[in-house]
Amino acid sequence: MAPEKIEALTSTRLKTDEMIINMGPQHPATHGVLRLLLTLDGEFVKHVEPVVGHLHRAQEWQGQNRTWFQYQALIDRVDYLSGMFTSWAMARAAEKVDGCQVPLRGEYMRVIVSEMNRITSHLLWLGTYGIDLGAMFGFPFYPFREREKLLDLLEAISGQRMMFNYIRIGGVQSEAPPGWFAKVSEFVKEFPDRVDEYEAILTNNPIFIKRTKGVGILKKQLALDYGVTGPSLRASGVPLDLRKTKPYSVYDRLKFEVPIHEGDGDTFDRYVLRVKEMRESNEILRQCLEQIPGGTADELRERRKACNSCGKADCSNCGGDLMIMAKKQNAGLRIKAGEGFDAIESPRGILGCYIISTGGDTAYRFKWRNPSFCNLAALPDLLIDHPIADIMAIFGSIDVILPDVDR
Amino acid sequence: MFGLVGRAVESLYYVCVGLWTVAKHTGRAPITKEFPDTMPDLPGAFRGRLALAVNPETSEHLCISCRQCERVCPDKCIDITAHKSPETGKLELIDFKIDHGLCMFCGLCTEVCPTTCIINTNDFEMSDYSREALIYDLKKLTLTQDESAHYFSKKYLPIPKPKPKPAPKPAAAAAKPADGVAAPAKPAPPAAKPAEGAAAAKSAPAATDKPAGDAAATKPTAEKKADDSKDSEKEKAAPEPSAAEGKAEPDKTEG
Ligand code: SF4
Ligand code: SF4
Repeated sequence: MAPEKIEALTSTRLKTDEMIINMGPQHPATHGVLRLLLTLDGEFVKHVEPVVGHLHRAQEWQGQNRTWFQYQALIDRVDYLSGMFTSWAMARAAEKVDGCQVPLRGEYMRVIVSEMNRITSHLLWLGTYGIDLGAMFGFPFYPFREREKLLDLLEAISGQRMMFNYIRIGGVQSEAPPGWFAKVSEFVKEFPDRVDEYEAILTNNPIFIKRTKGVGILKKQLALDYGVTGPSLRASGVPLDLRKTKPYSVYDRLKFEVPIHEGDGDTFDRYVLRVKEMRESNEILRQCLEQIPGGTADELRERRKACNSCGKADCSNCGGDLMIMAKKQNAGLRIKAGEGFDAIESPRGILGCYIISTGGDTAYRFKWRNPSFCNLAALPDLLIDHPIADIMAIFGSIDVILPDVDR
Repeated sequence: MFGLVGRAVESLYYVCVGLWTVAKHTGRAPITKEFPDTMPDLPGAFRGRLALAVNPETSEHLCISCRQCERVCPDKCIDITAHKSPETGKLELIDFKIDHGLCMFCGLCTEVCPTTCIINTNDFEMSDYSREALIYDLKKLTLTQDESAHYFSKKYLPIPKPKPKPAPKPAAAAAKPADGVAAPAKPAPPAAKPAEGAAAAKSAPAATDKPAGDAAATKPTAEKKADDSKDSEKEKAAPEPSAAEGKAEPDKTEG
């Protein structure tokens, strides 16, 4: 240390040595198992080193050692709060390699279930963020109430609340059960009111504002340098949303806004942005329910009575756009040889999957680009010079999910 | 000064708005469920404990021992013991074990099953005191006729009548021509039967060690066995007592 610096330290009598402490891996407020190696000067953070890998499950290796069909069931576990998106990224990459065309109804079903999943993910973030900031009383349960409704719907269609295994290579796994679409549109109708309720409690609350405004500012350039994506990047004012900038699936047929916040990119902006995004997702859901070819599953079932659900590709009730699956799902599912990459916009950012296939029933190589991992990289810069009490406020606001970091 | 007062009033107003929202909730019906008293209303697609269905109409076991489920399982938690019946030349199920401690309830096995035999039930309360107790055998897995009917109707799509006739009738039909036409084939089964009886007698001590249910499950199949199945019988008998020991040990330590 330079002599003048030592002098500066000793001249202020109150200054003591820096202290290194561990935060995590089992800190109750870290969502998962993240260890932060903090260098503290009194109350203030001087240096942060995130230690990742506690939840490493060799997801890529597993993909190379299991058949395509088997790996589809595992992939939801990469990001367990938004399993639809990981399945979707892999399915899209595999479809690109294989060259198979997903039927239109299948694409709409994918958008519906994944937008529902996006809302559940943001709702969970909102609820736990309340806890991170110390709102232990009842608020966390308001978002969880709506989340529960959505999870019940996702469970009814896919079979499990979080490990959906619903979006498959070639389409989606099953048609919705009777009455499902009606329940979704019921939810879509009431959801904006619920979001108003959360906002009434949080957005203008003076304590909430004090805790979040001007805290953890993520500068535009810094965010771009670190490869931060998703709501955290958009809150810093970069309009990057793959659904809009590089529309995939049927997003080009839907009218929706990508909320951009023109603020400094602080913790409060990220909150505002996610709330806006939930409203947009709701809007997307509403449009999908109107536009989906074949109408609701119940209507389609009525129509299919005429042809007795023949399942022929040229049938006007079963084939073409009204199919949900283009590739037969069985144990011997194969993907043509080749390599391909595709990315989608997950609730946390750009989720990419890179595949090399040799034409067999297992992949030769899998590579995941996980948004949480890249977003976490920006965390040390955000935490510097903030008091310990703000660590959770900032860490929570970038919405990192640890299994997605470590995979 | 005035600014401060204004800000305080504004803050108070927004806090009150928030609290009013909270207060409104007290008037609403609770959404939480008292779990053990009220069971959740689970959808048919729910992936719970695995089970083997019987035909809801004829109560005949649907499994054809094709081992598709065993092959596809990512966790390798299904273990099927089957042999080729000497009388009908068809595969016969001897035992079917699923280790629910390994299973991740992905439902892939239920998707590949050609006869919709293996299904995910809505049962999720299956905690137990030892890991061995989570290994369910054929008897524990097989659903009753009523339960099968319930799940077939609840899951909508699976066909409730997956051809009850082909299984028993071709079997009987195949057996009859074999009796009538192929004369050399005829003496074989009766000859096998006494031998089988001896085999059953030999394995009887081992069988007594087994739980009563397990023995009952193996006996009907054991009657139809031929000489070549003795090996498989021995193989099966060997791991069984060890499993029984495994079961007994945790009990002892607990006691
Ligand atoms: S549900 Fe999945 S893990 Fe369980 S037995 Fe079936 S295939 Fe194996
Ligand atoms: S896939 Fe079905 S029929 Fe085949 S062995 Fe498994 S349970 Fe039996």
